[in-house]
Amino acid sequence: MKLGRREFIKLSATATAVTAFAGLGMNLQPTTAKAQLLKIHWAKETTSICCYCSVGCGVLVHTDKSSTGRCINIEGDPDHPINEGALCAKGAALYQVAENENRITKVLYRAPYTDKYVEAPWGWALQRIAEKVKEARDETFVQQNANGQVVNRTDGIAHVGSAEIENEENWYLQAMQRAMGLVYIEHQARI
Amino acid sequence: MGKGFFIDLTKCTACRGCQVACKQWHKLPAEDTYNWGSYQNPEDLSFITYKLVRMEEYEENGKVKDWLFFPDQCRHCISPPCKMVGDMDDEQAILQEYETGTVMFTGRTKNLFPDEIRQSCPYDIPREDEDSGVISKCDMCFDRVINGMLPACVLACPTGSMHFGDLEDIKAMAEERLAEVKQIYPDAVLGDPNAVRVIYLFHRRPSDYYHSAVASLHGPRRFTRKEAFARLFRNNRPRV
Amino acid sequence: MTNHYNDLMNSDCILMMGANPAECHPISFKWVMKAKGKGGKILSVDPRYTRSSSKADLYVPMRSGTDIAILGGMIKYIMDNNLYFEEYVKNYTNASFLVNPDYDFDPEKGLFSGFQKESEADFAVFGYYDRDTWTFQMDDDGIPKKDPTLQDPNCVYQLMKKHFERYTLDRVSETSGSPKDKLEEFYKMYSETGAPDKAGTIMYAMGWTQHTVGAQIIRTMAMIQLLLGNVGMAGGGVNALRGTSNVQGSTDQALLFHIIPAYMPTPRANLPTLDDYNATTPTTNDPKSANWWQNRPKYIASLLKAMYPDADPKDSYNWMPKLDEGQNASWLVLFDHMHQGKFKGFFAWGMNPAASGANASKTREALSKLDWMVSVNVFDNETASFWKGPDVDPGRVKTEVFVLPPAVFCEKEGSVSNSGRWIQWRYQGPKPPGQCVRDGDIMLELFSRVRALYEKDGGVFPEPILNLNQKDIAKEGKQFPERFDVQKVAKLMSGYDVNTGKQVANFTQLKDDGSTACGNWLHSGAWTEDGNMMARRDKDQTDMQANIGLFPNWSFAWPVNRRVLYNRASVDQDGQPYAPDKAVIKWDGDKWVGDVPDGGWPPSERHPFIMRPEGFGQFFGPGMADGPFPEHYESMECPFEEQPFSKQLHSPTALFFEEELEKHAVCDPRHPFVGTSYRVCEHWQTGIMTRWVPWLLETMPQNIAEIDPELGRLREIKSGDRVIVENLRGQIECIAIVTPRLQPLKTMGQTLHQVGTTWHFGWVHPKDGGDSANLLTPSVGDPNTFIPETKTFMVNIRKK
Repeated sequence: MKLGRREFIKLSATATAVTAFAGLGMNLQPTTAKAQLLKIHWAKETTSICCYCSVGCGVLVHTDKSSTGRCINIEGDPDHPINEGALCAKGAALYQVAENENRITKVLYRAPYTDKYVEAPWGWALQRIAEKVKEARDETFVQQNANGQVVNRTDGIAHVGSAEIENEENWYLQAMQRAMGLVYIEHQARI
Repeated sequence: MGKGFFIDLTKCTACRGCQVACKQWHKLPAEDTYNWGSYQNPEDLSFITYKLVRMEEYEENGKVKDWLFFPDQCRHCISPPCKMVGDMDDEQAILQEYETGTVMFTGRTKNLFPDEIRQSCPYDIPREDEDSGVISKCDMCFDRVINGMLPACVLACPTGSMHFGDLEDIKAMAEERLAEVKQIYPDAVLGDPNAVRVIYLFHRRPSDYYHSAVASLHGPRRFTRKEAFARLFRNNRPRV
Repeated sequence: MTNHYNDLMNSDCILMMGANPAECHPISFKWVMKAKGKGGKILSVDPRYTRSSSKADLYVPMRSGTDIAILGGMIKYIMDNNLYFEEYVKNYTNASFLVNPDYDFDPEKGLFSGFQKESEADFAVFGYYDRDTWTFQMDDDGIPKKDPTLQDPNCVYQLMKKHFERYTLDRVSETSGSPKDKLEEFYKMYSETGAPDKAGTIMYAMGWTQHTVGAQIIRTMAMIQLLLGNVGMAGGGVNALRGTSNVQGSTDQALLFHIIPAYMPTPRANLPTLDDYNATTPTTNDPKSANWWQNRPKYIASLLKAMYPDADPKDSYNWMPKLDEGQNASWLVLFDHMHQGKFKGFFAWGMNPAASGANASKTREALSKLDWMVSVNVFDNETASFWKGPDVDPGRVKTEVFVLPPAVFCEKEGSVSNSGRWIQWRYQGPKPPGQCVRDGDIMLELFSRVRALYEKDGGVFPEPILNLNQKDIAKEGKQFPERFDVQKVAKLMSGYDVNTGKQVANFTQLKDDGSTACGNWLHSGAWTEDGNMMARRDKDQTDMQANIGLFPNWSFAWPVNRRVLYNRASVDQDGQPYAPDKAVIKWDGDKWVGDVPDGGWPPSERHPFIMRPEGFGQFFGPGMADGPFPEHYESMECPFEEQPFSKQLHSPTALFFEEELEKHAVCDPRHPFVGTSYRVCEHWQTGIMTRWVPWLLETMPQNIAEIDPELGRLREIKSGDRVIVENLRGQIECIAIVTPRLQPLKTMGQTLHQVGTTWHFGWVHPKDGGDSANLLTPSVGDPNTFIPETKTFMVNIRKK
């Protein structure tokens, strides 16, 4: 028994409705099958660049417009001149970087000598860090070094990172750390 | 004529983009693997792993001469033996679509004998979910293909190992590339090019890649007596 | 990279050494395979036969850490057989320069002139170089003297020839363990790119940088590229495959102690004013040298104006923190100081140093000496949770820890720079989930709160905090977490005229008087009055550009959208390409066509290496800390007490910490195997962004230790066994892979085994994955870059 496309969709739709992994999305009415079969047709499509290695592959990100607002698919951008749609194992798994139940989605705080994290509001955490920064800066600020030369630096705070954030964030990050007087500023490029 | 794949194994680097892209598109869950002493994890295909890059070190005189990579998947046979066997129990369990040639396993494969289906496959592809009894394998990304897109694995391939298109063009491409490759690897061969829609170019002996890399490695398979009896007394399986 | 990824396809010979691109930069292999498809040769030189090696025309095994010996042998081969590109070498390199006659190298001691001894062991001395003699002879105009015939015994060419005389095939092979016939084949294949119309390229990565001689390994290769005339060519260049999606960008933005944005040196205590700083601007007396860095005063003034818009740069220079002269605040020193309890607070932003840095147990201990730490990371990691790590009692750890959840790449807009210097724009797809916030907003809100405290309470030296640019960073009328204005910051980085508010077209419009603001002169032109150049997706190209895969209208490449650096070296004195079939630029009579040239001057009006004061490619490199020529030294941990090139066993200027020296294994029978660390395709860096990704963990679920079959028999280890790899610093558990892809090497009369393991794992997750390979690596570093030596160390391996 050979089937044409219409019957084929109809049959497999009925059949896969009962499977555990209806990954095809075929549990749809056959009349609108072609459009509906492709889940990404109903999504917002944006371009991005892979976050792993430095080749800079282009990816298409499909975001659900209807309910969750979450990512539903990430694949290679066929128009991108470097990867022309291709992705390695890591790039192909990008979807799970965004959609991952193990992501940290709350501010966590660990008090000295305690053995667990507790959740904290942003405002509280950032205010406390700001106070800690000011305290450490004011205490360890060196205006003149041992030779009497003006150095105006904060010796008591160090910073590492990050090759994983955008240029604009990095530019501001270095500006802000230098404005606070830090000189111990390092990151991935050194290792 | 339908669609086809050409997979040029001289170009595969085992980046495994295809293996993960398949999982991503189908949203197949990850397996809980434990490294068995190889880069090739999971060790085998499964109900939730349709595509697997198999890896074999190729040695000459105790020195490694090549590292063979074989992105294994359903060949979407022109005359699929799995369907012939499956049709004996449920004609709607395994479907073959007319225009693309996709061989599609549906939920009704739970009405079939999984061992029988797996053994009917010359390439040892189909795998059963023990809980539901459903059998699965590569679906050629049928939803993408009928919408004019490449299968997820083919799109992901960086090195030009995987190609997809009309079977006629694919066969011509395979033949042309074979002629080129033969100049360097005289034993190079295409895997069952007239019987399948997924044509591999092996630059070494197919058996060096995997024991079921081509159909001829095992020859035509017959039912054993035991299986024939099992078939006679199979009535414990419910039907939809 | 001097070139870019697509350009690899133009190569006649691609050397993969110190890199494993098929596994660590897999999509680069698209272009490697294109080159191969066009008849290009692919060479892989590696301690292991890798997935990259499987596609190579030639694979050469080697002992980890012997790259200078191998490449030095190639320099000798090229010079002995006159295979260099003579016109290029004479016109575009410093081969003809006459060196100070007091410069010397003692081949027996293995030391250059000017060495100042600080300490001594049986097998090596340590110290630093006084570089007074590493100079050129100057003529009356203050321009280096040259001998165009390259015959003068004091010319760079002759000194180099003498230096590499000792790099004989026998000695190289004895050192590296590479078979002589393979080495010779390698030298021959690669040297063929010395033909004017051929180009060879090098793909290297951390396999080269992570050695105490790392910078000199790269220099040796750069010298080969200059000898063969490969720099500036399509399919040529010196190409570092960088590790992270925006590590090029974060380096450009100078998240490093020694530079401020776009490679200007960090102000130091001995340069108290902007005038003092500008007095160190590189100069030249040669009218034909562009000496591009002469423009530095414009770039520093514009940077200061970008940071402090309301101040005169002369004043805001005082607000820049200054290092002491000679102060080293690099990674290993930073964690050493943290270990000594010198810091109160610490930010680990998108980083996991407890697994990524050398000698990770020292790092982990160091974290417990802090009062507080801020970790910004997508997933839980060994740094954030160090206080509950293996053998740590949380009840004894005082460190207060804040873990802040950021957005991931597809949840925010902004630019990232790849290794090929393409600055590419990302758009926002989904919004960040839960309380996740884009990093820029975390910074902005934190800094705003610090500023508010100084406004309210005062404090020490508040001026830089109160005056830092806010108007170009924050959106008007918006609140956390939607206040960071990525587009405005991008415009600030590209630069604008302070008076008109108009974006500058490129960095030639920047001024040294504070009338322009530009956050990063290399980004200048990325956002002009015509809009965001980084977001361009136009594949228009001329035939000449299409021929070599240039996409000048796709994204933006720094500097000034130049895609191949030093491209003026790809043409002859008349501006005609040496390789007409893959021309990068060409003088058509009144203008350049093709790529953006290194300056628009007509042919031969300027020397091609515009970033060097003299304008030439440097065989003799007087700026290096460890010698103007590369020299082979063994890693700080090695299996021998002596080496065949000289009496100096280790790099005499390597960065190390005296008190840790006793933990170094040299010829230690308890740790007889050469260990090396690396990455695999399926994971990334410390694994934080892959170990937590189920599809990737599935493909590589535990750390592995790869060994050769002979070592497997020796230690009764089979593939799949759980093993322990250990040394004086720590131990890790791995799954053994016993494979003929590794082979024992005959070196210095011994049979040596190597043990390879990845640094992708850590105790946090998965529980049976094994801990970080950096528990084994030593805190020693390169004297130029201070990058730790994590590629070569000594270990033992045993069955668990």
